[in-house]
Amino acid sequence: MSNLEEQFGQIYDQYIEKIYRFVYLKVNSQEVAEDIVSKVFLKGWEAYKAPGSNIDNPGAFLYQIARNAVVDHYRAKGRAQVIGTMDTEIADPGTNAQDMAILSADINNVKKGISRLKKEHQDIIIWHYLEDIPIPEIAKLVGKPEGTVRVTLHRGLKELRDIIQEG
Amino acid sequence: MSKITEKQLISQLKQLKEIKPNKEWAVLLKSKIITEQKPVVIKAQSISFTDIIRSVFYQRKMAYSFAALFLMVVGVLGFANYTMPGDLLFPVKKIAEQSQAALTGQSGLRQNVAVLNSRINDLAQVSKDGRKDSISSAISEVETNVTALVNNLKTGTADATTIKEIVSSLKTLADVPGTDLSTNQDVKDLYQAVVQAQIADLNKATLTDDQKEVLSEIQELYLQGKYTDALEKILLINQ
Repeated sequence: MSNLEEQFGQIYDQYIEKIYRFVYLKVNSQEVAEDIVSKVFLKGWEAYKAPGSNIDNPGAFLYQIARNAVVDHYRAKGRAQVIGTMDTEIADPGTNAQDMAILSADINNVKKGISRLKKEHQDIIIWHYLEDIPIPEIAKLVGKPEGTVRVTLHRGLKELRDIIQEG
Repeated sequence: MSKITEKQLISQLKQLKEIKPNKEWAVLLKSKIITEQKPVVIKAQSISFTDIIRSVFYQRKMAYSFAALFLMVVGVLGFANYTMPGDLLFPVKKIAEQSQAALTGQSGLRQNVAVLNSRINDLAQVSKDGRKDSISSAISEVETNVTALVNNLKTGTADATTIKEIVSSLKTLADVPGTDLSTNQDVKDLYQAVVQAQIADLNKATLTDDQKEVLSEIQELYLQGKYTDALEKILLINQ
């Protein structure tokens, strides 16, 4: 295995769960999530091995590809406008069978609530609370000031709590 | 639903970390993206690399082949240029002369005269070098070309320049030591044709009384079949 493959292999191992989780919570389908994540890492690998490639932050790079891939997915399905308002079952049968044994009903409600959040709130909540990405790094990811991210995070958390309590 | 505190919510959010991709799928995807692409990539690189090598090698091979062939042809032609009748490469020299004549647009009588001139020069050189084994071949070549020239003279009309060149060639031929071709019928015919053409020209020209007298002698010699003598007198008048 070449040096590049080894390096990207380590990046893959480090981010596969995070990216999958990030995508899954947005698309609510194991099959779709797997399809999108495959594309994300394939694109990531192609960019990584490209001559002259200089990816300083592989995590940020993969998250950016994932965000774009999810947007593309919804555009393709003509559902981009209703992402934040759709009220679908949280997980598809495949994930449901696997996850439901682990996740309690409350947590499943949280998952459902996340899927109903605005896109900007979704991203920041997932990154900060699930992936433990600090605010300054999220600010870099979204290209916004840290203060704005903190406000967005606070609003997102409030929105999520409201959704869950309404549910 | 009961109220949920922010702390509880954050705690529940953190539990979503339990969402993980199927391990088999994740391993397979990694293998597909990195490992399985490897042979494809390597194959593609290998093909393009070997293609380039082959291409370069093939082009160089072709270039070397052409260069070698070119040098060989040039070498053979260059060497053949110095060959004499009877030599192995003499036919090559003749082919080269024909090609050269074709390239310069030389044809008909003028080409005959040029080739005859070359063969007479060959004969003179062979005679000068004392190459007895080549003299018969050189004479044979001259006779062949004289015959060809005579045949062409019978069917065509030679201009003054061509006749002068033939006269010059015959003079060179007559000067070659040890090779008397004056008795050769084709050579005689050539002399006759040349003398006849020269007499016709002299008859048209304005001559002095002395020159008219010499012309009468030339005509006499011509009638007697003494073409060599007649030609010598013609050369005297032309001087």
